[in-house]
Amino acid sequence: MPQSIVMRWFCRLYLVMLYAYPREFRLQYGGDMQQLFRDRCRQVTRTPSLWNWVRFATQSAADWMSTMFQERIAAVREITVQECASKTFQVVRTVWSVGRSTQPRGFVAEWAMTLIIFLFATTTLVQAYVVPTGSMESTVMIGDHMLVDRMSYSDPGSWGSHLLPYRDVQRGDIVCFHYPEDVRQIYVKRVIGIPGDRIHMENKQVVRNGQRLIERYTQHIDPIIDPYRDNFPQAPAWSTTPHGREMLADDVRDGELVVPPGKLFMMGDNRENSADSRYWGLVPRDSVVGKPVFVYWSYDAPTADFESWSVDHLIDVATHFFTKTRWNRTFRVPRAQRAEVAP
Amino acid sequence: MPPTLEDLLPLTPPVFHILVALSDEERHGYGIMQDVARQTDNALQLGPGTLYGCLKRMLAAGMVEESDVRPDPALDDERRRYYRMTPLGQRVVRAEAQRLANAVTTAKTRRLFDRPEARVTGGA
Repeated sequence: MPQSIVMRWFCRLYLVMLYAYPREFRLQYGGDMQQLFRDRCRQVTRTPSLWNWVRFATQSAADWMSTMFQERIAAVREITVQECASKTFQVVRTVWSVGRSTQPRGFVAEWAMTLIIFLFATTTLVQAYVVPTGSMESTVMIGDHMLVDRMSYSDPGSWGSHLLPYRDVQRGDIVCFHYPEDVRQIYVKRVIGIPGDRIHMENKQVVRNGQRLIERYTQHIDPIIDPYRDNFPQAPAWSTTPHGREMLADDVRDGELVVPPGKLFMMGDNRENSADSRYWGLVPRDSVVGKPVFVYWSYDAPTADFESWSVDHLIDVATHFFTKTRWNRTFRVPRAQRAEVAP
Repeated sequence: MPPTLEDLLPLTPPVFHILVALSDEERHGYGIMQDVARQTDNALQLGPGTLYGCLKRMLAAGMVEESDVRPDPALDDERRRYYRMTPLGQRVVRAEAQRLANAVTTAKTRRLFDRPEARVTGGA
């Protein structure tokens, strides 16, 4: 039977994915599962279409994800303390014996599995996010997929601060944080004010602690002066959220915003098209998630495609991956930049 | 102590459909998967992980067992493992079917069907 290339790759990939299952389970059923997967592939090959393959791939991925965790949890429950100790000993001995004696069989396989587990575990240290809006253009674009370092701004009291370089949030840093009006959303903006800073704007220029800032990282797309947006916080506000109104009522003194302790004032680099602290208020220091490390993939598509998951988007990526990927943005680092002070 | 009937009920949809698939004949993994898809009008496509995870637990609970009977080797791959239902599995699937039937009856009495003879597809 002629096997298609797609099918061969799917089967090969599945063979690797099987290593995520616990060893006992894999030895017992791995062969059968592979066989079943191949049979399913053949079934799909009989009515081949992109839609069928995509559906099959998503079904298989969902099956793999859920059952892998299920079997791992089941395996942990079955294990006794004694077994646990002896397993740890085995792992230590294996690591110790690398390069010293002949490697035990299946060593590579076991490590491939460990690597997969490690990738899952590291989502607490580093996490991937996609940017859906253009409020940080031209520093960060719509469709930028970024890795975010979650440790660098973690609470100084936690154990991580002793092991990793820790630096508190500074002016000019680009920061990911939970949006104050809906903590389920992650926003990315630049830090303009830290606690104690006095801030106001004069015709699009930020004045911080009496100093006029020259911000080379900003983008201005609208020549018109909007009294609130560009002379914050002097004109009466009209499009603010409850948090924004709270900020205007509590923290404005003599026509300037004074950033209170434990809060940060954030703005997007795309100043005329950015919903930021001017509209929805200050961000608590505790809401900061981390800082973007680099863009690992940038894909040119409209905002809606990145806000919710859709099959159309998946197909779009599958068919236009090479043409719509912004290759020049790959591995770009969104840098923190200090504003200069105007003479 | 072997699990009693009450410990095993209610069954998850995959387990129920696997037992139904094994009720008329012994099948191998792919055969079970195809039959479950047929039973549910393709609504339930068992993936390899789901199928063998369920079979592992069902073997442990004694609802199914591996079968030594091989059909004509020329007709089928002899590496495939066949499964058959045990008497306990038979009792469990009957009890579950009865439970579901009761649930459907309750739904009917609350006028959740447009027509009383409406056929139910899709299972649990």
